[in-house]
Order: sequence, then C-alpha cells, then structure tokens
Amino acid sequence: MTRWPRRIVVTLVVVALWELLFRVGVLSPVIFGAPSLIWSAALKDGGTFLTAFRVTAGEMLIALAVAWVGGVAFGVLIGAAPLRSLIVAPILSGVIALPLIVLYPVLVAWLGIGTPSKIAYGAAAGFFPVALATVLGIRTIDARYAEMARAIGATPLQIVTQVKVRLALPAIVSGLRVGTSLVIISVIQSEMLSATEGVGFWISYHRALFNTGHVYLGIILVLVLAVVANAVLTALERRLGGARVLAQAVG
Amino acid sequence: MSVQTPDVVVARDVGMSYPTASGRFMALDRVSLTVGDGKFVSIVGPSGCGKSTLLQIIGGLAAATSGEILIDGVRIAAPHPDKIGIVFQEPLLLPWKSALENVEFPLALRGEPREARTARARDLLALVGLTDFADSLPYQLSGGMRQRVAIARGLVRKPRLLLMDEPFAALDEQTRTRMWGELLQIRAASRATIVFVTHSLVEAVYLADEIFVMAARPGRIIERIAVNLPRPRTIDMLGAPVLGALRNRIWNLIAEPQS
Amino acid sequence: MSAITSWRVRGGQLAVVLVLAALWELASRSGAVDPDVLPPLTKVAGIVWRLLHDGDFLADLRITAFECLVAFALVVPLGLLAGFVLGESQTLDRTLGGTLQLMMSVPKSVFLPVFVLMFGIGIAQKVIFAIVLAFFIVVPTGIAAVHSVPRGLVTAARAFGATRTQIYGRVYLPAMAPLIVGGVRLGLIFVVHGVVFAEMYGSTGGIGRSIVTWGEGFQMDYLLAAVMLVLVATVTLNETIQAVETHIRARRGAAS
Repeated sequence: MTRWPRRIVVTLVVVALWELLFRVGVLSPVIFGAPSLIWSAALKDGGTFLTAFRVTAGEMLIALAVAWVGGVAFGVLIGAAPLRSLIVAPILSGVIALPLIVLYPVLVAWLGIGTPSKIAYGAAAGFFPVALATVLGIRTIDARYAEMARAIGATPLQIVTQVKVRLALPAIVSGLRVGTSLVIISVIQSEMLSATEGVGFWISYHRALFNTGHVYLGIILVLVLAVVANAVLTALERRLGGARVLAQAVG
Repeated sequence: MSVQTPDVVVARDVGMSYPTASGRFMALDRVSLTVGDGKFVSIVGPSGCGKSTLLQIIGGLAAATSGEILIDGVRIAAPHPDKIGIVFQEPLLLPWKSALENVEFPLALRGEPREARTARARDLLALVGLTDFADSLPYQLSGGMRQRVAIARGLVRKPRLLLMDEPFAALDEQTRTRMWGELLQIRAASRATIVFVTHSLVEAVYLADEIFVMAARPGRIIERIAVNLPRPRTIDMLGAPVLGALRNRIWNLIAEPQS
Repeated sequence: MSAITSWRVRGGQLAVVLVLAALWELASRSGAVDPDVLPPLTKVAGIVWRLLHDGDFLADLRITAFECLVAFALVVPLGLLAGFVLGESQTLDRTLGGTLQLMMSVPKSVFLPVFVLMFGIGIAQKVIFAIVLAFFIVVPTGIAAVHSVPRGLVTAARAFGATRTQIYGRVYLPAMAPLIVGGVRLGLIFVVHGVVFAEMYGSTGGIGRSIVTWGEGFQMDYLLAAVMLVLVATVTLNETIQAVETHIRARRGAAS
C-alpha cells in the first residue's frame, strides 16, 4: 500500500515540473501543453468534455455488451465441437492480427458518421478476442468432467452451461479483458477519425485549432477511462475467484 | 447364502469393436456376466483387456457394437443416473462447488428442491464420514477425501448399481488401504450392488464376493472366481493365506500366454 | 492429429472463406444489399487488379511500406533489447515495470494528435507513432523471452566454462528464438496498425489516406478494394511469420 502514496507524490512532482518548464519557456506550449492550460480548458469547456465522455463511455459499453455476449455465445457454440473449433480458432486469431481500422470507413459509409458506426466497429473489434478465448477455453477443459456430468444425468445443455463454461471461465475472462481493451482502443480511434461527438472527436477538433490544453484534457480523460476500466476488470477477475480455485484443484 | 434374488446386472455376449488403420479391433469379445443383488463384484485383468470399456458400456457411457446389457431387466444404451452411479479414477469434483454442493449436484440437475437435496446430500456425507467437511472446497480436501465425496455423489440418487473404475488407483498405499475399509463400511450401510474395476489383484480379492478375470486381445472373461473370505473383511485378512492363494491363482491366469 | 483430420481442418477453413465470399457476391448481385453500398466481390477484385497497375496507388503503397519498414527496423531491435535488459535486471523491472504496465494498458492512439502537433502531417509522425505503439508490445515479449530461458541451461553452460558471449549466443539466443520470432510478428502487426491509423488520421499520402478519401467520396468499390489488399497482405505476412515461429518451435522441441 506504500506504492500509492509514492505514485501520487511522483505524479505531483511531474506535474509541477511540467508547469515550471512551460512557464520558463523551455517547453513549447503548442506541443507539450501545460497543467495550467489544461486547467483553463477544463474550466472553459469542461461541460462539453463531460458530455463527450458520457457519449464515448456509452458507445463503449454497448459495444462491450455486444462483443462479450456475442463472443462468448459464439465461442461456446464453436468450442463444443472439436472439428469446428480447430477450423474456426485459427481464423479468429488471424482476424485479430489484422488492422481492422481499415474497415471503419466502410462502416461509416454504411452507418453514417454518428454513434452507430462507432458501436459497430468497437463491437466487431472486441468480438474476435472474446470468441477466440472462449473457443480455446472450452476446447482445453478436461473432457472427463463432461463425461462425469453425463454419467450423473446432465442434459447436453446443462453440461455446457453448468460445467464447461464454468470450467473455461478463467480463459474466457482473460479473453474479456483483451476484448475490452480492444473495444476501448477501437472506439477512441474511430472517434478520432470521423465523428460528431465523443472524446476522440473533441481531441481531434482541438488539435486542428492548436488548443493544446484541450487536447491534453481529452487525453487525460481517455487515460482515466482506461485505468478505471482496467481496475474494474481486475476486480471482476478476482471476484470470480475461479482462477485460483481451479488452478489449485485441477493443476 | 443362496437366496434367489434377481440379478442387477446381466451382460449377454457384449462385444465392442472399432475400425483402426489395420482392420477392426476387438476390444471386447462376447462378454457375458451377471451380478446378483447386493453383491460386490471385481473385474480384474491386464492393461488393454477392456475392463474399463466394459464398465463404460454397463454404465451407458459407451455403446456396445453387439450384445446387450440389462440393469434390473432394462436395456442400457445411455446413462441411467437413477439406476447407476459411477465413480471414476479421478474424483472429478467441480472445483468451485463445496463437498456438499458436489454431492447434491445430480439432484440439482434434476431440479429437486433445495431442502430435500441438501438433506439427502448431508446423509451421504455422513455415510462416507465427511460431515465436518460439507462446506470445504475440493482443493481443501485430500485425495482420499475427494474420492469419498465422489462416492457419496455416486450414491446420492440411491442407484441400484454403483460402478467404480479404478477409483483408488491414484492414491498412495496407506490411503488406499484405508479407503478399502471405508468402502466396505459404506457398502454394508447402503447395501449397494458394486462392480469394481481394478488392476490390483489384492484389491480385487479383498473387496469382492466374486471376481471376473479378463484377458486381452481380444478382451474377454476367462474365469469367474468366488471369494470365500468371510464378511466383514478385516485388515489382517490381507495377510491371510486364502487371500494370497486367490491372488496367485488370478496372477497365473493373467500371466499365462493366452491362446 | 491424423493426416485426415488436418486436411479436413484446412478444407473447413477454405470452405468458410469460400462461403463468405459467395455470400458477399450473391448479396450484392441479387440486390439484397444495395450494390452501391456493397459492390460485388468480383467487381472489387477487378478494381484490385486495376489498382495494382495504377501508378498513384503504387506510390501510396510504397509510402506505406516504407513507413512500416522504417518503424519495424527501429522498434524490433530497440524493443527486444529493452525487453532483454528489463528481463535481466530485477531493479529496473521494479522501478520501470509499473510504468510499462500502465503504458501497455492505455490506448496509445490518443497520443497521435500530440505527435502531429510536434511533427506535422509528414512521414515522421506516422513512423514515430507506429514505433511507440509497437514498442510496448515488443518489450514485454523481450522480457518473456529472457524469462523463458531455463536457468538450468545457463548454470550448466557456466559450469562448463562458457564465456559470456558463448552463453548469449549458444544458450540464450536459441532458447529465446521462438519468443523472439513471436515478438517480431507482434511488432510487425502493431507497426502496420500504427502506420495505417496514422495515415488515416492525418497524412498526405499512403494507403490509409486513400482509404479515407475513397470512403469520404463514397467510392465503395475502390474503398473495398484497398481494404481487401491491406487485409490480405497483412494476413499473408502474419501467416508466414507464424509458420516460421511454428517451425522454430518444432525444431527446438525435437532437439531438446
């Protein structure tokens, strides 16, 4: 716990140094901004940024929901059959390696410049790692558990939902993490490219006007969002607790 | 005790073969056996003799390619968890469920109400001597205790038949010997009919009323041996000449090159 | 996995691709989807062919390829070296490890506007952005590679009197080979991501720029053609390096 106070102190020192270098004239304000510039940007347009934050967060949450649910459902269906999972898994991992951002202009052409294209793109980007992790997770669980479940009278549906998915949960959760990070990145990128609202849009907007304070304010908001999302996911992982229990029992 | 009670298990000319690169492989060739009500039957044989396959077929987990299995007169082609309980070599307890939840799992799958199934599970945990560990998770239990939970789970639906596939193979010798005593106690209290597959000749003889000796290639029963050790079995019987003689007899049957 | 199954897997994958391609073609040709919005696959393929012979497009391709190459050539050695150093040194890992984790968990694309402010919309900002993006993926790979060397091997080599260079060359490098190749592959993927995104964001040339222009002009056939080219090229690169990775793993497995 002594990590956090130290980090706060370090951060404060950095901020102070940053402001100092700006005031002294060493750092160009256009490129590096300054804490005071960020502060005045917040005072001036804080409301707009907060609304934008809500929009961006909303897009991300919807995209996340689609990616998580769709990815896990797809992964469970595919992972249940050995041949299917062997065929599909490499395709999924191949897609993950692609610069899917090139597809975003296609989505804009189809869905317009507003929120739907961002959600669609974010959901698509997040879907693949979730699906892949689920397929691999379901595929690599010990087959004897399914046999045992069959022996005690579980229906095929019960075997999948109550045994297989639960056993694969640590793998699925790690896939959810990767998927979430991809959704965040994708929504931000798409907002930066073509949008009418959202934090990414405003960052780009103010960059074009050389309002560096605003740009850095937007960047900080995105970083905060990412850190919070990360913390929530870590907490989720820990609550499910499955990983530790499973590792000790099965390993 | 020659009372005419109906046979719990009847296997008639059970065959199991499957295609391989070099033609059809006969895992089981016309295996027939019967298991009387309340009897403890061991199936023993060398590796590859098909004893586990036979157990799986009896339990409905695998399909025979010829012949039939009757449990209480009913043909078996799929798992019948109401009639048949199975204990595997690994306990296969669900790691996130407590001992109690694992035992009651078969009942939960059927949608039985919570109170009834918890009570029943507790009864069985008491039977296997694990009342104090009802809320423990599998990783907190020793190998022998986990296997006892698995046995309790196998009995929770009051099956006519309990199938056990080398359940103590993964345990160390001391635990194993203790588990023999436990199992015999459980059996006496529950009066279950048990078919027990094992590699260990001593284990087969010590636990059973009857032993079916199998040979490999193709898998078949070559001998049926009645065990004339008195019940209840005690530890000193492990050193009894009778047991040793039986064991040697089986050994010679298995070790002989089969024609 | 028998030979039969492996053929079936490959066949299955081919079938998936063919079915998707057929669906595309049918949906567009039949009018189920507006062919202005989704031109038929065959038409797009024709445009691909045309583009590959078009001077302007090839010039764009060269720009993108150049940026990727420069970024790649810089980030892989830098990143791997940084990874090795961090992997070897406990103290450095403790001090910088947290920052590394932070940088890894954050969407670095938000920093692109800062690079544009610094360098304008020329080539430099794209290359630098791609390097930053890939750097934080290659470094952890380097760390993992160092950690993957079995300590026993190093101790044994020392016991036999191996010099430092010999240990690095004969023990470390071969042991780390598969992970290093993995790091190279990830570096390439992220470099391509970075370059393409930066071109789409603010650039005067390159494939990304053309894609955005065609998208804004609603020239769907050209847009889809360029997208297909980029995706197919990336897939090919990725699969090739992955094959090398698998090959190295297999050879190492056989040897050890």
